[in-house]
Amino acid sequence: MSGADWGVLVFTLVAIVSYGIYKSRGAQNIEGYLLGNQSSPWYAVCLSVMATQASAITFLSAPGQAFSSGMGFVQFYFGLPLAMIVLCITFVPIFHRLKVYTAYEYLEQRFDLNTRALTAFLFLIQRGLSTGITIYAPSIILSTILDINTTYTTLCIGSIVVAYTVYGGTKAVSYTQMLQMSIIFCGLFAAGIMVVHLLPGDIGFSKAISIAGKMGRTNAIDFKFDWNNRYTVWSGLVGGFFLQLSYFGTDQSQVGRYLTGSSVGQSRLGLLMNGLVKIPMQFLILLIGVLVFTFYQYNRPPVFFNSFELNKLEKSRYNPQLNELKKEYEHAFNAKQIEVNKLSKALEADNQQVIDQQRKTLQAADEQTKKIKGKVTDLMLRNDKGANVDDNNYVFLSFVTKYLPRGLIGLLIAIIFLASMGSTASALNSLASTSVIDIYKRLINKEADDEKYLKASRWSTLIWGAVCIVMALYAGKIGNLLEAVNILGSYIYGTILGVFLVAFYVKHVNGRAVFYAALLTEAIICVLGFNEVVAYLWLNVIGCLLVVVFAVLLQLFMKNKTAAV
Amino acid sequence: MKNKPDQDLPPFVKSWKQFYRLLIGWLVMLILVFYIFTIYYK
Repeated sequence: MSGADWGVLVFTLVAIVSYGIYKSRGAQNIEGYLLGNQSSPWYAVCLSVMATQASAITFLSAPGQAFSSGMGFVQFYFGLPLAMIVLCITFVPIFHRLKVYTAYEYLEQRFDLNTRALTAFLFLIQRGLSTGITIYAPSIILSTILDINTTYTTLCIGSIVVAYTVYGGTKAVSYTQMLQMSIIFCGLFAAGIMVVHLLPGDIGFSKAISIAGKMGRTNAIDFKFDWNNRYTVWSGLVGGFFLQLSYFGTDQSQVGRYLTGSSVGQSRLGLLMNGLVKIPMQFLILLIGVLVFTFYQYNRPPVFFNSFELNKLEKSRYNPQLNELKKEYEHAFNAKQIEVNKLSKALEADNQQVIDQQRKTLQAADEQTKKIKGKVTDLMLRNDKGANVDDNNYVFLSFVTKYLPRGLIGLLIAIIFLASMGSTASALNSLASTSVIDIYKRLINKEADDEKYLKASRWSTLIWGAVCIVMALYAGKIGNLLEAVNILGSYIYGTILGVFLVAFYVKHVNGRAVFYAALLTEAIICVLGFNEVVAYLWLNVIGCLLVVVFAVLLQLFMKNKTAAV
Repeated sequence: MKNKPDQDLPPFVKSWKQFYRLLIGWLVMLILVFYIFTIYYK
């Protein structure tokens, strides 16, 4: 990175963090620290929920995913607008009316303490683990740029986020997120324009998409129903709906964001605007990945995008074999480029026969380069069993640092930092709220004053920050980070959502029945998930439905037993 | 905690129900547009 890039990066980060700290300065009470005194307008709520969901992983993994397997991932978000509607009708008015700090507080009012503690505990496990992954994602950026191990970068980034979240609480989180999202939108727009600008002169936007499309990268929609296909319209609409409903309705990192809304209407509007904007935004991020794919059909990409792992292999005793594979890769790329040019000409001439023929040839050539990459990763694993061989997270990053102009590189790196900081800060704030309100205040120290709870919240944020940083240090062993977070969520979200749906809609079920139903369901979901019986998105649906069915049956059984006695 | 009563109405439309319908329509339109995109560039 040049001096200008470092300047832009450091200025952006310092300015935004300082702004957040400045706006959240002064004496606070527990309500201000955890809920921001419920004073946010709808646009702040909207940007805050978006910033919480769109972590750095979104901007690293999604373009890489489009590059390697196409745009099908956009379907994952199809359930989101529907989930926003259900939230606005049911969850938001109830949470506001009951004036709760956390979503789990409501469950004690409706059921009992056991159910509240169980759901809070499940949330703490899930959010604690996934926040570790969220911190790890931007640390790989610094690792690549500075060519040092991710351990040091993880420690550095985690510390910055923890510091301003501990100091400013939810206000610091919200104020930084508003600016973060504005800069993210601008930066992504600039990146998209630059990718098109960097394509060869005769390749315009539409032609670039056409070339990627012929090589299977524009598959945004798949209507085929397949239990084992991760991304189809149906898994997105049904599975995605349940996942998003449980994420936004029962995950305190999101509930805490829209509870800062100044009224039910402002919270609602913020969520619905998120429903309007999220899918097009995700589509555009994937489209950038597709354009980068076409760019690399004309510019030879490295045999492996993760330069840290590649450098490690180059310095090992496997370097001669690596050099052979690099030559093989270069030949394969040159051969592929000739075929791409033929396809480009056929597209110009609109010669369908040649286009079809070239499509098959290029798909075979694509497979050939993937095979060579596979051999490289085999070598990496032979050299180091713990090597991170998933390349998706490095595709966009490698492109940005190598081809974008000075200044813009710094801005895009800043965006990835900001996105990560936004979602991590929300997560830490929610982990602190749940630990203090649902555990400490409810079970350990019921009679303390406001100041004591505020102090406990700051300590809790700090401790969770440390735990998440430790988790982040192990996140490198997990493949695609974005999927890892979603898979982890799918193990737990369905169960928690089931508990909330029973609470809202099945009035005759009591706490004991729903508590055992949730335990039983979680065990079944773990068995299904570990054995990969269905694609992970369906675990949300199955988990949710099982809790509802088991709760109703157990309630019936308990009622009959009581009657018999 | 102070909450304003639920008096806010959404912009551009007359009720929240209309806003929900608008959002569902938007989703259907996006799926159609993406489907056309998939077919066109395949």
